[in-house]
Amino acid sequence: MTDVQQHTPSIHLSGEEPRVLPNGEREFFFDVSTSDLEVNMGPQHPATHGVMRVLLRTDGELVTGAQPHLGYLHRCAEKIGENVEWLQYLPYTDRYDYLAAMNNNLGYSLAVESLMPDLEIPRRATLLRTICAELNRIASHLIAYGTYGLDIGAFTPFFYAFREREWIQALFEKICGARLTYSFIRIGGVFNDAPPGWLKEVAAFCDVFEEKWREYYDLLVTNHIFVMRTKDIGVISAEMAYDFGLTGPMLRGSGVDFDLRRDLPYMAYKEIWDAGAFRIPVGRGAQGTLGDCWDRFDVRVQEMMESIKIIRYCLEVIEEGEVIGDVPKVIKVPAGESYVGIENPRGELGHYVHSDGGKVAVRCRVRAPSFVNLAVLEDLMPGTLLADSVAIIGSTDIVVGETDR
Amino acid sequence: MVRVKEYFGNVWKTLATTWGGMRITGKYFLQKPITVQYPDERLPIPDRYRGIHYLEQEKCINCLACARACPIDCIEMEAIRHGKELEWVSFTLDYQKCMFCELCVYPCPKDCIHMGTEFALVTYDRSELNHDLLSFRGMSREARIRMKEAEEKKKAKEAAKAAKEAAEAADSKDEKGEG
Amino acid sequence: MSILAITLSAGSLLSGAAATELQGPVMGTPGAGGNFLTRLLEWLGPPQAVPTWAIALTSVLLGVAILVTMVSLIAMWSVWMERKVSGHMQCRFGPMYAGGWHGWAQTIADGVKLLLKEDLIPKGADRALFWIAPAIVLAGIFGALAALPLSYDWYFARMDLGVFTILALGSTTTIGVVMAGWASNSKWSLYGAMREAAQVIAYEIPLGISLLCPLMTLGTFSLIDASREQATLFGWDCGLGWAVFTNPFNIAAFVIFWIAALAETKRAPFDLPEAESELVAGFMTEYSGIRWSFFFMEEYAAMFLMSVVGAVFFFGGFETPLTALMRASGSDGTLLYSLVCFGTLVLKGFAGVFLMMWLRWTLPRVRIDQVMTMGYKYLTPLALLCVLLTATWEFARHLVMG
Repeated sequence: MTDVQQHTPSIHLSGEEPRVLPNGEREFFFDVSTSDLEVNMGPQHPATHGVMRVLLRTDGELVTGAQPHLGYLHRCAEKIGENVEWLQYLPYTDRYDYLAAMNNNLGYSLAVESLMPDLEIPRRATLLRTICAELNRIASHLIAYGTYGLDIGAFTPFFYAFREREWIQALFEKICGARLTYSFIRIGGVFNDAPPGWLKEVAAFCDVFEEKWREYYDLLVTNHIFVMRTKDIGVISAEMAYDFGLTGPMLRGSGVDFDLRRDLPYMAYKEIWDAGAFRIPVGRGAQGTLGDCWDRFDVRVQEMMESIKIIRYCLEVIEEGEVIGDVPKVIKVPAGESYVGIENPRGELGHYVHSDGGKVAVRCRVRAPSFVNLAVLEDLMPGTLLADSVAIIGSTDIVVGETDR
Repeated sequence: MVRVKEYFGNVWKTLATTWGGMRITGKYFLQKPITVQYPDERLPIPDRYRGIHYLEQEKCINCLACARACPIDCIEMEAIRHGKELEWVSFTLDYQKCMFCELCVYPCPKDCIHMGTEFALVTYDRSELNHDLLSFRGMSREARIRMKEAEEKKKAKEAAKAAKEAAEAADSKDEKGEG
Repeated sequence: MSILAITLSAGSLLSGAAATELQGPVMGTPGAGGNFLTRLLEWLGPPQAVPTWAIALTSVLLGVAILVTMVSLIAMWSVWMERKVSGHMQCRFGPMYAGGWHGWAQTIADGVKLLLKEDLIPKGADRALFWIAPAIVLAGIFGALAALPLSYDWYFARMDLGVFTILALGSTTTIGVVMAGWASNSKWSLYGAMREAAQVIAYEIPLGISLLCPLMTLGTFSLIDASREQATLFGWDCGLGWAVFTNPFNIAAFVIFWIAALAETKRAPFDLPEAESELVAGFMTEYSGIRWSFFFMEEYAAMFLMSVVGAVFFFGGFETPLTALMRASGSDGTLLYSLVCFGTLVLKGFAGVFLMMWLRWTLPRVRIDQVMTMGYKYLTPLALLCVLLTATWEFARHLVMG
């Protein structure tokens, strides 16, 4: 940080001649110049959701420039993927988007499976994967809901969101034994079958969650102060969203109806969509301009409800059976390359895997949605107030572990 | 008129939504908290919980399957083989590295490494995190007995064999002598 | 050293108050009961035997001691209450261990911890300003509390313009906050200080104007007289003649007063000077230990002060049906009656503090431009409208009831 004093206004007489007023007094002109204040938001700042640094250039409360700096959490995840066996990379996928580890497992598994044409995934495994991925989507959006409330200054919604997230984590703990880094969805299926009674507990969770969801809506989403804070702030037009390659709620918040679960369906999503079990919430500009922070936030909150509907459908059609296909202990993937993108809570999570037929990947590349979505900050933040910049960072809902990998 | 409506609309909305929020927080204020007082009461830990490992050493055959499956190579084991019996030197799991992914558990052919429900890994020194999963070093009593028995059997077999050979040799000598 | 500074500044404020009190009889103001410090001294010996300066000095020292205790107690209780209230609103317990019963001693433990913490002054800070800022913040609130009557006959000074004194002294804390923000040599602190200055100036206006409504209803600026005015409801001495009951526009005025009071005390949704998600901790970013706790004490003491002012001018002050009953049974003027009045005031004050906490744990924070909009475009005109309507109502009431 530079010194404050050196940016204080400097006042001195301008070179201009003093003007003589009608009453004989002389009027002097002053040069009053202020320079912009450069301030580091982060790496240790409550609003950056981890260790990201935004270099802000401010004129008073007004932000005139913003430059996100990342890389504080870089852990060489992709390089590790080229050095460990196919299955051994699974725990590392948990760790880039640690709030939606199930979805990361799923994306990686689907990408590897796409190179193994002989492998057949049992139906129960597919449905279990869907249930887990959607539960994790709810958990992730709950965090987005809670932390966005924190960014805006409301504490309590955070605790309510964590209460339900805790329940989801307890469910995951029962099925796979971990609370955050699940490593549950594996190449070929899932590691374990659901313990007895687990599916009933999920159904019970769905029932309770619907009630609580109403409260979330009343407590924060429609609160007038919250609406005033987020509407017309950080407006991303549909075109801008295309240009930046935004995906997920960031894109749908701008009114673009695009969801990989419907448009490039994987697993059982085509069947679920055809059964009419869910719809895709899209920003409507209900509280201001289309594509503002409120729209993005609203899309996330609505998506939680849609996930509940998907889970309900899966619980109806799920039946007994195998949970893992015919996979050897040491997986050898046929030579080839493939890219599979799935709908992560934050957008399109793509895995590009390249195999030469061996036990280890030649290349394992991740298209992280947070990383792509983050790029828009630099364009959105100039011209807003300091408090708005916090709201904008919050509305992109980044996970720094994923941007840096 | 539109502006006036908007003006008083804002006032009304602020007050109404504030009251709506206060009703929710007020409702929970009067309800019982859902948290538990941790050290005094604890939530049940499910069976599949992925905590600190435990090893059924009797079953283990030192096949290194778990060590090979480990993505970060945190499992190391060493045992000296005496025929079928194993004399254990070490079986360490470095919890500084371990990420509790459970990948070591599935490939075990004897189903002898498991993850338990213990999770507290608090130490004063990092080196203490390199846990030794062995419950005994060297050989277990049973293994020793088995090995002794096997050795005795072997000895007996060898003795029998030697006796047989000696007998055979004597026979042939006799035959020669007679011839 | 900070303590000394506080003592001196609060002492000078108090000595002024005490001097007014001492001169009271001379100036012809009937002191009903009189300053309880001077009464205490009278009890020690005949006032004629003690020189006036000794009385003044002793009363000032005693007053400072009482005030320090008061502020500490208010802060301790309020912090504990805040943690419990927020905890229960968020489905958790809050502190549960320290002291045994529901963690009652948590704040005491925290206070001891803060006292023992290293006294840090950042390298580039303006040492003198950094050092004096928390003291100034506390001095302002001490002065304001000195003008507060604790019971109908317990007060440091009987001030005819009590409410103005309180508002004026209460807003001097801003100077300390701006000083702290500037002296810290941290950009976040500077932002916090600027926000505080802008916000407090904006909200002084609606705060003052909205208080005019009950002042018109009650016809006095003195807190004791204001609460006495509210004893009778339409001529019936039932202790329920509260300003909000006798004049409906006072309810609207109270809402405006309350919002402005929240902004004055830097409480959510107007906690912009702190704004922990935006400015890390605002003007307190660089403070730690006991200096930091001074800001905290100021915040809670100011909350209590504003709640009490609200309670006195809108919700009857010392008056409840219980006090009316006591008056009817003739126990007026006894120590018990004083105690009941004191208890009523404290209860009403903490009810207000609870309301502030409830709002804080419900609402998101507003933005700085919205704070200004709300202050200048909404609260100020609406407060003026309230004044107009209250005046009309009072005029009509006087016409009808004579």
